[in-house]
Amino acid sequence: MSDALLEVRDLSVRFDTPDGVVKAVDGLSFTVGRGESLGVVGESGSGKSVTFMAIMGLLNRAYTDIEGEVLFKGDDLLTLPQSDLRAIRGEGIGMVFQDPMTSLHPLYRVGAQIVEAIRAHREVPKTEAWKEAVEILRLVGIPSPEERVRSYPHELSGGMRQRVMIAMGLVLKPDLLIADEPTTALDVTVQAQILDLIEALKQELNIGVVLISHSLGVIADVCQRVMVMYAGRAVELGSRDEVFLNPVHPYTWGLLESIPQGGAQSHRLIPIEGSPPSLITPPAGCRFHPRCPHRFEPCDVERPALADRGSGHLDACLMTSEAKAAAWAGRQARRNAVPA
Amino acid sequence: MSTDEAQTGVPSAAPAVTGSPLVHVEHLVKEFPIRRGIILQRQIGAVHAVEDVSFDIATGETLGLVGESGCGKSTTARLVARLLEPTSGTIIFDGHDISQASSSEMRPLRREVQMVFQDPYASLNPRQSVGQIISAPFRIHDIEGDHKTMVQDLMARVGMNPEHYNRYPHEFSGGQRQRIGVARALALRPKLIICDEPVSALDVSIQAQIVNLLEDLQEEFGLTYLFISHDLGVVRHVSDRVAVMYLGRIVEVGTSERLYNNPRHPYTAALLSAVPKGHEEHASGVDRIVLTGDVPSPVNPPPGCPFHPRCPKARLISGSETEVPEQCRTAVPMLQPMGDGQEVACWFPLEPGEKLQQAATA
Repeated sequence: MSDALLEVRDLSVRFDTPDGVVKAVDGLSFTVGRGESLGVVGESGSGKSVTFMAIMGLLNRAYTDIEGEVLFKGDDLLTLPQSDLRAIRGEGIGMVFQDPMTSLHPLYRVGAQIVEAIRAHREVPKTEAWKEAVEILRLVGIPSPEERVRSYPHELSGGMRQRVMIAMGLVLKPDLLIADEPTTALDVTVQAQILDLIEALKQELNIGVVLISHSLGVIADVCQRVMVMYAGRAVELGSRDEVFLNPVHPYTWGLLESIPQGGAQSHRLIPIEGSPPSLITPPAGCRFHPRCPHRFEPCDVERPALADRGSGHLDACLMTSEAKAAAWAGRQARRNAVPA
Repeated sequence: MSTDEAQTGVPSAAPAVTGSPLVHVEHLVKEFPIRRGIILQRQIGAVHAVEDVSFDIATGETLGLVGESGCGKSTTARLVARLLEPTSGTIIFDGHDISQASSSEMRPLRREVQMVFQDPYASLNPRQSVGQIISAPFRIHDIEGDHKTMVQDLMARVGMNPEHYNRYPHEFSGGQRQRIGVARALALRPKLIICDEPVSALDVSIQAQIVNLLEDLQEEFGLTYLFISHDLGVVRHVSDRVAVMYLGRIVEVGTSERLYNNPRHPYTAALLSAVPKGHEEHASGVDRIVLTGDVPSPVNPPPGCPFHPRCPKARLISGSETEVPEQCRTAVPMLQPMGDGQEVACWFPLEPGEKLQQAATA
């Protein structure tokens, strides 16, 4: 992809802990283009957040072993000196963190926190920066921003605080916005507001967006491309329609089947058996094979690469596309046939 | 839960239906006073957490309670379990009026009502082994017998390895811990289990395991559930009937099929439309109604219908972004039967099949 904003090649992140080396991310590659939204979905511990912490240089390298390449507009963020990285954080890549309750400083007015972000990057007078803060709060849909800019975080509701976080992520007009579970702490009606806002801003500013979420519904709602992660690896990567309508990885199948379907109240849910593996001693071969009902001979030794196996999008599973089509059809039939 | 049976109120196994519901709640009110002053404390206001809530739960039924944070779901649950004392109103549990029961009067009934909590990390004592945690109800209620065997039976029943009797909570994953919480709630064979967001803290693949477990146990023991969640998909899946709360009041109640397919209250419709639909409905282009603003403060709830400041339908009727019909502003609508057990508290409920429209200017 020529217009790739962010290109990640073979990224691996390992943490040294007293219990052993945690292989949090293992050989991950993907790209994000301008005006594109990539959804990253996976369960807790699948490496979603760690991947983007590593990309932003937010992990302490003394305890973390990061390998691979992270190209942002051609520069490798992993080898860039701290000072250059500082310039890119905020101006090049904006980040919205998960928890609006703890990510804002409780003792500073929200305006002051936005102004700090502006003045860390640009030499503008304070009054100017405050005006900019008001404008960005208006952009993210905060009513009467002239007054709200002087509010302390505790005076705002969860949805408003999350809007402030998004405002901070956007105030320097970054080319790429990384939103890590931006709606997880919010109620559904507020979640809908925030997702609409991110989508509108993406179109208005023509930026790339990465949305990290454990909720398939949120991802399906707003993202054009979807990457499914499991135990530190991408297992499926494709357009939203491909991944949700023709999923090809058994883990994606399991995730989709775990969600209650509207109108099918009497159906039993089909959970994925077992629980996610330890990342200190991950299973050999395909990391999903111990929980996979379709595993066969080489799954426990041979690691499947993320590649197009004839389904039109990328997946990391050793089954042939014919076998997958048959297995998925079988699973759908079984699911629809469950008696009340 | 075999839906057909449960919807008619007949549990698949266990206690015979007596005709009267297991839980009957009428005009329940809970206010938390707000006090100012250091020595001479005076009350300067109250948080109206639960306002005039009435509902029944039949034996063997699952009643889902949904709403946004701060709408009074958990307070209602705590009142039903009598962990809180109601300001006014009546709670009848299994024929006993427990609304003002003292703690000694409550004691024998505590065995009948158990809770499963949201956070399996915070609701288990980290310094007690699984065996101690699950056998605590036996010790508290002086139940004779071989506690170890009883606990191991429970562990097997909730899908845990009974050999893990001596392990501690930190050795288990979130899903396994929630199984411990369920086993503890089940220990005294209660009639009612109040599940307060039991799967919200779990990953989706694990959520499904716990939801299935709760359904199996209901069938096996004829349990009645009050199931609280903000996840509308999960509530629809487990509940026979669903009550929607907004700002301390129930605004709509009905069987889950009717309520989800045919919401009559504008808030219910907006709430359902806000749920990310996943792919299928996305393609079919279901309109999402984005409510403006936030939920008002329960310290100072708006007069009239609690939803009127955000209601798209009220604005559509008045034909203006800022005006709403006088009735909505001044009079509180009561729950009115809409047929088939569906009840709605709205002056202008949506007609069957009517789609909630965003106000013209949006």
